[in-house]
Amino acid sequence: MSSLNFDPLQLSIIVSALLVLVTGIYCLIYSRNIIRMIIAIEVMMKAVTLLLAFSGWLMGRIDLVQSFIITMIVIEVVVAVVAAGIALSVYRHNDTLDIDQLDELKG
Amino acid sequence: MNLPILLLLLGLMVVAAVAAVMIRSLLKSAIALAALSIVLAITLFFLGAPLAALFELSVCAGLITVIFISAISLTGNKPKEEEEEKIRERRARFLKLPIFLLIIGVFVSLAWIANGINISGISDPAAPTFQTFKNLFWNMRQVDILGQVIVILAGAFAVVVLFKERDQA
Amino acid sequence: MDNLLLIITGSWIALPLLVILICNLLDKKTGKSWALPAAIVVSIGQMITTGLGLLQLGLTKSGFINFTIFWNVNDFEEIARSAWASAFFSVDTLSLVVMFAIGMVSLISVLTAKKMNPDKALNFTNLLMVLIMGMNGLAMVADLFSLYVFLEITGVASFILIALYKDKKGLEGSFKYLIMSAMASAMILAGIAIMNAVTGGVTFSHISGLFASGSSLHTFHAISLVLLVAGIAIKAGLAPFHGWLPDAYESAPASVSVLLGGIVTKMAGVYAILRLAQDVFINAKGFNYSLLLLATVSIVYGAVAALKQKDFKRILAYSSISQIGYIVLGAVCGSPLGFIGAMLHFFNHATFKSTLFVNSAALESQVKTRNIEEMGGLAKQMPLTGTSSVLALLSTAGIPPLAGFWSKLLIIIAVWQTGHSLIAGIAVFASVFTLAYFLMIQRKVFYGPAEEKFAGVREVKGGLAVSQVMLSVITVVMGIIFPLVLLFFQTRGMI
Repeated sequence: MSSLNFDPLQLSIIVSALLVLVTGIYCLIYSRNIIRMIIAIEVMMKAVTLLLAFSGWLMGRIDLVQSFIITMIVIEVVVAVVAAGIALSVYRHNDTLDIDQLDELKG
Repeated sequence: MNLPILLLLLGLMVVAAVAAVMIRSLLKSAIALAALSIVLAITLFFLGAPLAALFELSVCAGLITVIFISAISLTGNKPKEEEEEKIRERRARFLKLPIFLLIIGVFVSLAWIANGINISGISDPAAPTFQTFKNLFWNMRQVDILGQVIVILAGAFAVVVLFKERDQA
Repeated sequence: MDNLLLIITGSWIALPLLVILICNLLDKKTGKSWALPAAIVVSIGQMITTGLGLLQLGLTKSGFINFTIFWNVNDFEEIARSAWASAFFSVDTLSLVVMFAIGMVSLISVLTAKKMNPDKALNFTNLLMVLIMGMNGLAMVADLFSLYVFLEITGVASFILIALYKDKKGLEGSFKYLIMSAMASAMILAGIAIMNAVTGGVTFSHISGLFASGSSLHTFHAISLVLLVAGIAIKAGLAPFHGWLPDAYESAPASVSVLLGGIVTKMAGVYAILRLAQDVFINAKGFNYSLLLLATVSIVYGAVAALKQKDFKRILAYSSISQIGYIVLGAVCGSPLGFIGAMLHFFNHATFKSTLFVNSAALESQVKTRNIEEMGGLAKQMPLTGTSSVLALLSTAGIPPLAGFWSKLLIIIAVWQTGHSLIAGIAVFASVFTLAYFLMIQRKVFYGPAEEKFAGVREVKGGLAVSQVMLSVITVVMGIIFPLVLLFFQTRGMI
């Protein structure tokens, strides 16, 4: 292990967080379904949670980062609730979840 | 920290994320998201953050999945009505994703290894040790606690405003 | 004196919380009828307390006030100032000026909402209170992660407010805002995580200390800065990232778009930039230059794109993008003069942009349209709306002696002095351009041939009229006493 000049642990965590983040953003851009877009937001937040935990672990003070993660999770839930509420209201209006139906505002 | 276990967990995490995005049924997609949360919670536990892992497990894997499943069942999950055309188009759009991810992963790893990057985390030597998590959270991050209280209030009002049936007006 | 200070600082969070409790715990009917008056009390209270706070800062010449929210942490004083702790709120001149603007715009918004049905009024008041708490918190935090927390609160409350009537447009605007905002939040959080890893803390003072020493910058600092700048630029609606902003403004109910246009999006994005530019990344060249570029693009783009619009609110939205550009320009040009200009332009922008949104609400309620092509010759029937609108537009374009002139002048001089003469030139040119098309709008809407179908149109009364008068007075008076305000701040060492 000492012959390597990089830490495989750091590499694997950073790369997987990046991949999950890219997955979320990709879905946010290409999906046409409102609920799937909300799922994409959640996927992105998971990547960020991993990054936050990693930052604390790197400094050897992960106990401190826990408070960040807990606060973040609470906020994440509320955002999910609001987004689900909007999706529900949109469905009651349009009878569909297709984002292409949301095209009133242009200019 | 055991490297093979961590690698397995991280691999599972990426697979779950891709599944949550790619599966066509929204219900299964929500379940894949829950799986992603569970794997993340285990990873957090291994990294040494048991309380955060607990929150992730109960709130993200539990509560958020419930929210999603109720939203999906209230809006009716009806993939059958989609036209053949749309399904094919969707498949084409999302089949690019794994290839895309593979390229990014390999590229970043190679760049990382070639440059021998090593993040040296700065640990403030003067940083005082907090006796307990309780002490840290309730005294030192009280601004965040206030934020949590307010955001929960906002969530309550969101339920009041958005989840009601449509107004008569 | 200490007790008075305790009451003042406490009221910024406690007062809105109290209103929420009272209005929701009382029986339904009383709660609903008390909601809007209570909101007015909170707004006026905030204006008074922030005024007192400014006076206190001026008298003590201390520069800032620190205070805890729940309980004192005197036993751990040392820990509370470490790189990890977010135990204090901290207010300085910038915070107090923007909090005064928050109180003012909230008051205007409530006055505009007077005609709401009582059921909606309660929901509106609840959410407005959450929004005020979120924005006050944003103005007072001293820590990157807490900044994120309050950004999210502000965001969540405004998503719900935009969708308050659950009409098709409102839901669409709200959802677009939510998606962009969530993407921005993920970027900001990733930036914070990396910053945390490479600097070992998240408080403003800790990070700025590290950047000031300047020696140990490497790739990950840069990545973190890029993520933070991109995230905040989305929240602020700077030019390449502005897609959601006109939609959100257009789709929101009238009283909510006063809030959004006047203060909310400025708090969420522009205030964060001001704060970070002043306290954190003052020595980070990459942060300043990238934002300088984005600001210039926004100024030009906002001014040009407004030309094509027909909807009154959309025109205002694009002009907002342009004005945001001026504020950011002043904040990141790297001279204290520019920063003062940015701070005061923030306040002036809150004044004249909310005047214009109130005008839009007045036109919409009387003429039943927001399309400027359909309007004409309304100045006779609606003299108050016409006059206040002209004053606000002239202030936006920077005509002396109105308030907007002074702050814009300060910004442009500062940008010129710091050696960005090309950018200063562009800013002046865009300002002239703004004046030109605003005059065009004025002619189209208020002057020109009177159309017969508008013969029955009457001037607005009540809340709309009061807020128009109030804001116009502020614009004119601020313009006249501006040098005095500047002198007061200067001699008291507050800027």
